[in-house]
Amino acid sequence: MGDMQWIPGGTFLQGSPSWVLDWLDGEEHQTLPRVWFGDETPTVRRTVEPFWLDRHLVTRADFAAFVAATGHRTDAEQIGFGMVYGEGGWEEIPGACWHAPGGAGTSIDGSADHPVVHVSYQDATAYAAWAGKRLPTESEWEFAASGPRFRIWPWGDDWQQALANTAEFHAGPLASLQAWKQWWSAACRQDGPMPRTTPVGQFSPEGDSGYGCADLAGNVYEWTASLSELYDDSAAVDPTVRTAVGRYRVIRGGSWMNFRYQVRCSERMHGDPSGWSSFAHGFRCAKDS
Amino acid sequence: MVRIVLPAGWTQGHRTEFTGTEGLLPDVIRTFVTDNPEFRHRLIGPNDQLLTYINLCIDEDLIPRHLRNDSVVGQDCTVTVIAPMAGG
Repeated sequence: MGDMQWIPGGTFLQGSPSWVLDWLDGEEHQTLPRVWFGDETPTVRRTVEPFWLDRHLVTRADFAAFVAATGHRTDAEQIGFGMVYGEGGWEEIPGACWHAPGGAGTSIDGSADHPVVHVSYQDATAYAAWAGKRLPTESEWEFAASGPRFRIWPWGDDWQQALANTAEFHAGPLASLQAWKQWWSAACRQDGPMPRTTPVGQFSPEGDSGYGCADLAGNVYEWTASLSELYDDSAAVDPTVRTAVGRYRVIRGGSWMNFRYQVRCSERMHGDPSGWSSFAHGFRCAKDS
Repeated sequence: MVRIVLPAGWTQGHRTEFTGTEGLLPDVIRTFVTDNPEFRHRLIGPNDQLLTYINLCIDEDLIPRHLRNDSVVGQDCTVTVIAPMAGG
């Protein structure tokens, strides 16, 4: 089940300082509104105790061992479909699950070292318990990614397209949402709507965080244990995010589907923990010291 | 008048609040996408049913999926659409 990295713990300012939102607003090719990132602000002082964090995302081989040992059936397998982004958007694809990530008839042959996908919050939690571990909290995740001082990406503040599995790694710089759609449509026509994951650790060591964890930016979205909350109730946030607070679990790290702006250390997403998963969602585990 | 609130990411930061008509929740959404067809693929599946994976709140209440068809949206209610992955 791979190596774990020792994270020494400490007190840090979690979230994004306001200049980050100013920067995002000013970026010519950043298409999302300021309010979309409002849940990252204001920064809040958090303390994390020393802990261990998986150096790598949980792989398909890891998950296969878990299934073989426990007989676990994922939520996607039980409900009969998984979420796949097709040419027209998100679709409920019959048979899509961790061993058939593009739907019935697809497979994971030859990709045992890629991160597992189509895992719900419950699936990830069950795996972690079996492994004698747990999911990291949101604060632990961000501290492991950025360290005690703010940085935009795990390796620093300068974007490096070659250091993370994002849409830009596959397509080159993307200047608009339309350019993203053109790239994805072409990819679907070539190989079908298969997840564009990469082997865990492919971008190491240059793409690692200061604490030596790989793929914290991109590859797959990562579940955390933390219930969604706002850093401050007065923050200007997307109204639907406000409704998700107290109901969803925090997701971190962005994925191969994203632009550079969604794979930042302080970027937050919120996932429905009631059984939903997709072909871009995975996880890694933590352990108390 | 019913308020319908969508994720800001769906509209690239433009308008996120719309108006709708009261009625059963699926009918409220179907009427909404008839009036705003650009959101149809995000809310309605090919079988003309509400997409399973979205979440819908009426005012502060998250409506369980098995109760959607029988849930009534009254006038002055707010329907909030939450994608399975919100924000970011």
